[in-house]
Amino acid sequence: MHKKPLSKQIYDARWCYLFVLPCSILTGMFVIYPIGMSWYFSLLDWSGFTKEAKFIGLQNYYEAVNDEFFWDAFIRSFIFMFGTVPVKIVLGFIIAVFLNNQVLKLAPFFRTVIFMPVVTAIAIIGIVMTFVFSPFNGPANKFLMSTNLTSAPIDFLGNPDTVLPTVMGVYVWKWLGITMMYWLAALQTVPQDVYDAAKIDGAEGYRLWIHIILPIVLPFAIVIILVEAVGALNVFPLIETMTAGGPFFSSEVMEIYIFRTAFVTDSGTMPRLGYACAAGVFWGVAVLFITVLQGLWMRRTRRI
Amino acid sequence: MKKKKELKISRRTVMKGALAAGAMMSAGSIPSKLFAGEYNIPDPLKPLPTTGGNMRWIDSGDMKGVFWKKLFPEYAASRGITIEYDGLPWKEINKIVPIAIRNGTVHDVFQLPLGMDPGVAVAEGWVQPWDDYIENIDEWLAAFPSGVYLPGVNQFNGKTYGTCLTANKRTGTCLLYSEKYMSEAGYDPQAGRMTYSEIRDAAKKITKNGNGQYYGWIIGGNQVNRWEDVVHTFGQVGGAHSGRGGFTNRHINFQNGKFQIASDQYMEAVELLLQLKSDGSAFPGVMSMNAPQARALMPQGAAGMIFQGPWCIGVWGRDAPDWKYGIASEPVPDGKEAQPLYIAEGGSNTFWLSANSTMGPFAGDLIRFMGTEQGQIYWAQTVGAADPAVNPDAVAKAGLTGPSAQALSMFAENILVGPNPIVRNKDVGIVAAKSRVPDPSLALVIQGLYTGQLKGVEAQLKDCNQRYEDALDKAVEEARADGANVTRDDWVFPNWDVYSNYGAEKYQEL
Repeated sequence: MHKKPLSKQIYDARWCYLFVLPCSILTGMFVIYPIGMSWYFSLLDWSGFTKEAKFIGLQNYYEAVNDEFFWDAFIRSFIFMFGTVPVKIVLGFIIAVFLNNQVLKLAPFFRTVIFMPVVTAIAIIGIVMTFVFSPFNGPANKFLMSTNLTSAPIDFLGNPDTVLPTVMGVYVWKWLGITMMYWLAALQTVPQDVYDAAKIDGAEGYRLWIHIILPIVLPFAIVIILVEAVGALNVFPLIETMTAGGPFFSSEVMEIYIFRTAFVTDSGTMPRLGYACAAGVFWGVAVLFITVLQGLWMRRTRRI
Repeated sequence: MKKKKELKISRRTVMKGALAAGAMMSAGSIPSKLFAGEYNIPDPLKPLPTTGGNMRWIDSGDMKGVFWKKLFPEYAASRGITIEYDGLPWKEINKIVPIAIRNGTVHDVFQLPLGMDPGVAVAEGWVQPWDDYIENIDEWLAAFPSGVYLPGVNQFNGKTYGTCLTANKRTGTCLLYSEKYMSEAGYDPQAGRMTYSEIRDAAKKITKNGNGQYYGWIIGGNQVNRWEDVVHTFGQVGGAHSGRGGFTNRHINFQNGKFQIASDQYMEAVELLLQLKSDGSAFPGVMSMNAPQARALMPQGAAGMIFQGPWCIGVWGRDAPDWKYGIASEPVPDGKEAQPLYIAEGGSNTFWLSANSTMGPFAGDLIRFMGTEQGQIYWAQTVGAADPAVNPDAVAKAGLTGPSAQALSMFAENILVGPNPIVRNKDVGIVAAKSRVPDPSLALVIQGLYTGQLKGVEAQLKDCNQRYEDALDKAVEEARADGANVTRDDWVFPNWDVYSNYGAEKYQEL
């Protein structure tokens, strides 16, 4: 059969293209254009708000990869991701399994309670948590002291050894509800017949979950992990409000590093948008690489 | 059944309303007497636009904010406009203003981020001169003390772009203490300047007396500039003579033009902070609080001492009027005599008018009034020593008493005007625009030493000093490449007598 020319195909589908047009324009304006400009800015020596901008090629990239604070922040971002995502996935799954049980009458109540931090403004949570973890009259320390778990208050957010785990803990608590919801959605795709058939075949308890339910929800798990991993790399508002990356860079993740170099310097000298863009592009590519790897893993798992 | 309220309007009320409305329409601006309040705001020197509008104003708040919040409603009512005021900490100003400039939404009147060269703001067209909006500006400027308005600092191309209502003769690291805790520890800072050993001992004793309920000393440790401010000023008191201000002035000994971050005086000051920590005298949790949070804990009885600025006076007076505290000069290293502190010429709290602003006539009218003696008296009466009014006569007439008066006399005694490279050579401004504080900055190095993440005070300060030297060399090199006529010799003032003010005649001698 003779294939229609491309122009004819486009003309025939003109209504489809028309409907796609608004979305394409918006994507172009708010996604493609900023990405393109950030690539361009990364090649400039530019503060971001003066007229003077000098083209310097890849010098910003060279400087970034030779900056120990860049790599520290880079690694810290992944520590944050690897420290929070598994906890959220496992905890979220366990909670979802319990709350998916139809017999549990208070399930909607617990779901709401666990989901509540998700809908609370993150900046508010960040600020409130600085008071919660304050070593002076903070409820966390009061509890630890009153139960004799510690003899002196702990400076959770001021101690370089405890600051990142504390922020990670708050992050897990804040977003656990959404992970639970993902898992609940996944579990609710398992037909009741499967549970019934498994019971008839004598599969109960952990066997039911390991051998029957888990293989069914595994493709969902990969998607959830992907979403969670990308989410854990975007933690700017929480860290900025809780620690601003301190003390002495102990909680500085990549987004804080980029923000600091793009907009704010400690002593008020000119910021460096060009350099920050280079760091951002480098970081974006790294995240893209991880996402692609996860995508490949997902496809492989589906084939299995 | 509810009785319906009758609307009764007396003849007198109608006449009052008509009079007010008539005055508004006929005068083009509203006479201030109709809005008699706390302040006697004079009529504008020339009619202001009758279109009204909203004027947005941002500055670093604190006691300025307290004053503006009282004055602005009265001023706005007298001129038929509205004023939206944002008083924010410097940390926020440093973030918000550059972004707002970038996206064209900066306030009508604003302060530039700390350390940012004003020459850049003018060259980039972010600001417009006040000359068109302040009536008889030459006469108005002549009423200010000499050295407040200077080319390259707030005047460019023969026009005044920055207005200063306050003097910069103050320090931000005074010793503020609880009278009760200090006297229980057996010390009286009013008897004379305390030494490092005495500070340490007093902090230990207060902590011991507190028995876990309060501690000797507190600092807003996650606001990193506080570390640098303390070490810088204490270093100066110890004899490390240097300038104040942005990167191209701060920490530089103008006798030889070199940074002195690795000087013995700086090291001693850092050691003092580390000793306060190792003694157990520091409030637990200083690393997770900013300066305002630390300040707020003082009247709550959480600590005995804090090294902060006179802006605490007004805040404590308002929030904890019954709390007894004292203010004293910064401590001195053992066995040494306190040396002078230096400020650069010029005022402080410079206000800039956005190039996009259409509220210039109102902003200029308000600034003009605030520069008059009456405006300065009003300012001094509310703001006190926190941001001293720039007119000394007005300060004298304001009738300040207590800690405010004490702080002002302390500053007058301790602070001299030092050299300012930008006054000598305006191209230093180009260097300032090219400068980048190296990572980690001195502030972060001290924070890192305090948390224990960095080891070895001497080695760290030496490294830091070298980074600063390299950064300034690089900025000078870049500025020269762009045509600036500047060398590192512009930072050397061989005729600087560290015990006297560095005035215009000294610049002429160079």
